[in-house]
Amino acid sequence: MDVGPMRSVPQVMRDILRDGQRWLADQLTKHAAREVTYRRGDSESTVIATIGKTLAEQEAGEGLVMRMEIRDYLIDTALLRLDGQPTLPERGDLIIETESGKTFSYEVLPVGSQKAWRYSDPFRLKLRIHTRLIATEEV
Amino acid sequence: MSTVLNIADAVVAELNAATLSLPLHAERRYVPNFDLQDMQQLQVSVVPREFHVRGLDRHRNTYEAEIDLAIQKKFQKGDAAEIDPLVSLVEEIADLFRLRRLSSYAGAIWAGTDHQVLYSQEHWDQLNQFTSLLTLTFRVAR
Repeated sequence: MDVGPMRSVPQVMRDILRDGQRWLADQLTKHAAREVTYRRGDSESTVIATIGKTLAEQEAGEGLVMRMEIRDYLIDTALLRLDGQPTLPERGDLIIETESGKTFSYEVLPVGSQKAWRYSDPFRLKLRIHTRLIATEEV
Repeated sequence: MSTVLNIADAVVAELNAATLSLPLHAERRYVPNFDLQDMQQLQVSVVPREFHVRGLDRHRNTYEAEIDLAIQKKFQKGDAAEIDPLVSLVEEIADLFRLRRLSSYAGAIWAGTDHQVLYSQEHWDQLNQFTSLLTLTFRVAR
């Protein structure tokens, strides 16, 4: 393989992996994603999100049992913008889905010892955002 | 009805009749389990916890009932403006029973209050939720 005079072999390998990850991210966005509203305070935007792991969980804490749905969203890092500016998720942000005449509000929150979000790949192309369902309302 | 349930129901009635700084509706529960979605509204739960019977004199026993109160609400920012009123409410609730007999079950007299969880750090961190737990102890001689 001619890698050119200015690029090392490891750099080429990283580019191939990155290109592959980019392709995979694009496929997820094109074929396995839906529009959701991403909201922080008064700011919101529509983004394409792939729904990742969804769990129904019971958490016991302080002798109380809390039932909840935990859902991960995968969003392209480059597509998450608020007020026209690129942004990263923050605890307390809301992701709102509308389906079958209902809106489902998921709050960005940590899960266990993990932070509320992380990059889902080594190239920071997609964000994996942990959320919990906090409200279901009729449209 | 059993003594401990009479006491728990009297606590619920007292809470629902009281005029406090925040409006609330208390409910008696056997098992304190909740849906996170319900926590947008203030939830006050009354749960009978423990019951001890001790000798008092030759003819009577002392019944001591421990009743847990859970005060819960989801918050948005968790700043003082949101949380201070909830902490104050918990103290108001504790004061409501202090040094008194229960109005609807006058045989039960307040014997103590433990506030071991001012706010649950776990619920704060994981759920953006204020959860405070009070344990009230009432004594009945019979």
